[in-house]
Amino acid sequence: MQNQFLGVTRLLAVTSALLSAAALPGAIVLPSQAQDAAACASYTEAPQLKAQVDAGTLPPAAERLPLEPLVIQPAEGKGVYGGQFIDSWGGGNLADIRQFGYEPLVRWSVDGSQVVPGIAKSWEISDDAKTYTFHLREGMKWSDGHPFTADDILFWWDRVENNVKVITGGPRNEYKVDGEIPVVTKVNDYAVSFSWSKPNGLFLQQMAGPYGQRAVQFPKHYLEQFDIDLNPEGVAELMAAAGATDYAAWWKGNVGSYNDPSQFNDPKRPSIHAWVGTDSILGKERVTFVRNPYYFAVDPSCQQLPYIDERVWASAAEPEVTLLQAIQGQITMSPRNVSIPQNRAVFFDNQAAGDYRLVPAASCDYNTAVLAFSVNHPDPIKAQVFSSKDFRAGISQAINRQEIIDTVYLGQGEPFQPAPLPNSPFYNETMARQFTEFDLAAAAEHLDKILPMGPDGVRLGPDGKPFAFSVEINADFKPDTVDAFQLIERTWKQAGLNVTINHHSDELFGAARSKPDSDGSVWVGENGCGQLPLLNLSRFMNDYGGWSLGNWNGWAAWDRKRLDPNAELPEGWEVIEPPANVQRLYELRSLIPQTIGEEQTALMQEFTNLQAEEFLTIGIAMPAGFYRSVKNNLHNVPAELIEGWLYPGPAPSNFASYYFQ
Amino acid sequence: MGSFMLRRIIYVIPALIAVSLISFLVIAIPPGDYVDRLAELRAASGDVIPLAEQQATRAAYGLDLPIMVQYWDWISGVVLRGDFGYSFSFNLPVKDVIWPRLGLTVVLSVASLLFIWVMAIPIGIYSAVRRYSAGDYAFTFLGFLGLAVPNFLLALAAMYVAFAVFGMNVGGLFSPEFVEAPWSWARVVDLLQHLWLPMVVLGTSGTASVIRIIRANLMDELHKPYVTAARAKGMGEFGLLMKYPVRHALNPFVSGQNDIFVDIVSGGTIVAIVMGLQTTGPLLLDALRTQDMHMAASFILMLSVLVVIGTLFSDLLLAWLDPRIRYQQG
Repeated sequence: MQNQFLGVTRLLAVTSALLSAAALPGAIVLPSQAQDAAACASYTEAPQLKAQVDAGTLPPAAERLPLEPLVIQPAEGKGVYGGQFIDSWGGGNLADIRQFGYEPLVRWSVDGSQVVPGIAKSWEISDDAKTYTFHLREGMKWSDGHPFTADDILFWWDRVENNVKVITGGPRNEYKVDGEIPVVTKVNDYAVSFSWSKPNGLFLQQMAGPYGQRAVQFPKHYLEQFDIDLNPEGVAELMAAAGATDYAAWWKGNVGSYNDPSQFNDPKRPSIHAWVGTDSILGKERVTFVRNPYYFAVDPSCQQLPYIDERVWASAAEPEVTLLQAIQGQITMSPRNVSIPQNRAVFFDNQAAGDYRLVPAASCDYNTAVLAFSVNHPDPIKAQVFSSKDFRAGISQAINRQEIIDTVYLGQGEPFQPAPLPNSPFYNETMARQFTEFDLAAAAEHLDKILPMGPDGVRLGPDGKPFAFSVEINADFKPDTVDAFQLIERTWKQAGLNVTINHHSDELFGAARSKPDSDGSVWVGENGCGQLPLLNLSRFMNDYGGWSLGNWNGWAAWDRKRLDPNAELPEGWEVIEPPANVQRLYELRSLIPQTIGEEQTALMQEFTNLQAEEFLTIGIAMPAGFYRSVKNNLHNVPAELIEGWLYPGPAPSNFASYYFQ
Repeated sequence: MGSFMLRRIIYVIPALIAVSLISFLVIAIPPGDYVDRLAELRAASGDVIPLAEQQATRAAYGLDLPIMVQYWDWISGVVLRGDFGYSFSFNLPVKDVIWPRLGLTVVLSVASLLFIWVMAIPIGIYSAVRRYSAGDYAFTFLGFLGLAVPNFLLALAAMYVAFAVFGMNVGGLFSPEFVEAPWSWARVVDLLQHLWLPMVVLGTSGTASVIRIIRANLMDELHKPYVTAARAKGMGEFGLLMKYPVRHALNPFVSGQNDIFVDIVSGGTIVAIVMGLQTTGPLLLDALRTQDMHMAASFILMLSVLVVIGTLFSDLLLAWLDPRIRYQQG
């Protein structure tokens, strides 16, 4: 017990490192982290490459590395070459960079506190924050030895991101300001600039996230042959050979954009990752990646990275099998899906047998479950009730969060609303903690104002008729929400609420959630640590990009018309004017990304204050108790890892610097 | 015999057409499609697929066409070109994904079937001949136990024992170094070393029911006058047993063979998922869950065809075994 307690405090201590502000725009940034140029007279390389160099089949290390390689500070110290890192995967999407590798243009530092150089060695942001210029590393090469230059980034922008003939859906919102896409210009062979007509206050952080990966994974010299405009005859031949008729579908299956598994399926395709494929991966049970001889990073003692020779991906679709393999010590680092608080005891008991240790992994999720009600429900009575803050406050106070934490989350975590985490500069005490006390009397007081108690102990709607509602849950995604809502259902009934909890399988949840007349539904809250809430305003507005929990379409429609009176609304949407505070929240959502520095911080403050006042969504607990099993002979793993999506942990912890001894 | 076979084979054709249509509709009719599922899966990992990208994907895969058009495109490809369509989630032609898996499924199913025969037929005969003996009771008890314990539970328990007691490498049909290796003698040996566990798990319930079938039938036959007559003529007890009553007793066993095969193939899904086997089961379930239409439909089609052909086969075998069948229904 004491052991676990220590683990938790240590974990909190480290996540607070996520506090400090990322490099703010408005000035030339000279990254101060020790990832600056190493003064190396010569470079050491892995023994397996040395043989090839001696045989003359590979140029020497100094010619393979850029003039200024990225210097990665190892977590413990200098490593030794060799070994095999074995991962378990579901067999589908290796492109999930959270486990494979993280090599965006710029990257989050290991502790997540700031943006540091990655493929770009430095960057400049114009004083008005309208232009970002990234400087690439002269002499950097793709894994086939071909130079990596600004042309590769422009190829991505022109021939992939903005190419309507392939499937990308156009540039993602992460690259836009207020809907405007940037002008991307080649300054010279080793510099690219992105500029907008409005200031972009978040571009650097966006590029450090998963979407910054897209810019650097399209080697022009290789992929030109798959572009139907640049090589019409060749593509026609390839498509005929594959029996394909649709170019977009064929491209997706052979080239693929940033999250398509196909981008790892062509072993000939050059890459900038530390390990490169030896064979196609799709349909395989076990695949091997070997070191990239041109990987652009070194350790402080001028040894070329990565240290580890090979990464092996072994398919295991069933989590129970993965769990067994992990505790048997067959997997170098346990995957996220089995490294959950509920399995902690099993992992703990088998540490000696499996020869591994447990490394805490703090979650960036800001809540274990976020409950949102249909404020724009087609039934006016329900819309009135769900839009009422009294209803939401009463509902929230009728949840016994401590009981849920004790029984479902094994005592890990604390009661919390959907809000930035305490380690974030945007933490707001009221937003995070209000209405989290289990207090049926206070709940009744709130509920009585909108749902008076009926004669038989069941509350009546504003129309005097018995009021019933339901909540949709995805039972497959996070089984813990099922357990939590069984407890919630009980206390809600004590408060006189007639509620039905509907459990859905993964496949059917989407349909249930997006029904216009669904009452309310539950999802997890992601990206709440450090700087991430800045990039995550839409989630706090219950806009998950194409879908929301419960029906908020009326308000979203109002927001679209506000931004562009000529905007076309999706079928079935009708403008509903939100209350003044919510209108301001929508405005802030578009303003914050266009501001920088103190102004941005002040607007964020206003945003969280208004969120606290409106109390739009309801949460349960701050997630805690995550960890990874790590083989005892694996070194340079940080003492604490971070899990997340926009911070794609644990990949930013630099797998290339891990080594076996 | 000839006309019986012909008639029986002709019946197969409409069955196959119906099966192909149902295979496709089963996956096409439920709400949502592969792109919805993809979006949902990405959402579970934190990512968001923009609506424009979803629509473009849907159009590229032809998921925006009417269902019957999609069916026709798929089935005409299957029949005319042997092309089973495209697996969206694997980004591969369906046949590239299915064939290797189908091979292992057949190996496992046939192995389980052989296990059942080897175990159940001798035990069934023994139990019938020595009924109410200690051996009969012991086998009967074991048989009922095998029938009563669900396969997936047995699989979980067997895996735990293999892991905790023998320290075996659980999950899969191969050791790590052989998973993607080309076929070789060493790989076959490795397969055999891993095959026995799922084989026993899958075979237990089948064994139990076959023991009961043979025991009951043989007990009926043993006291028929022809047995007494043969014995009176001085025939050896073992030869007599094998030549007449056992052959009769096998009749319902043969006709039930296909059911057992279907049980193994379908019941095998859960066992394969639990044990992480590279057979068709987990892939089919996955294809259904992700609404990977062509793959799911092709799988269901292939397994259904196997069942149809298996039924045909057992009917023909029965007709050969028991002449009465051939002459019924003129």
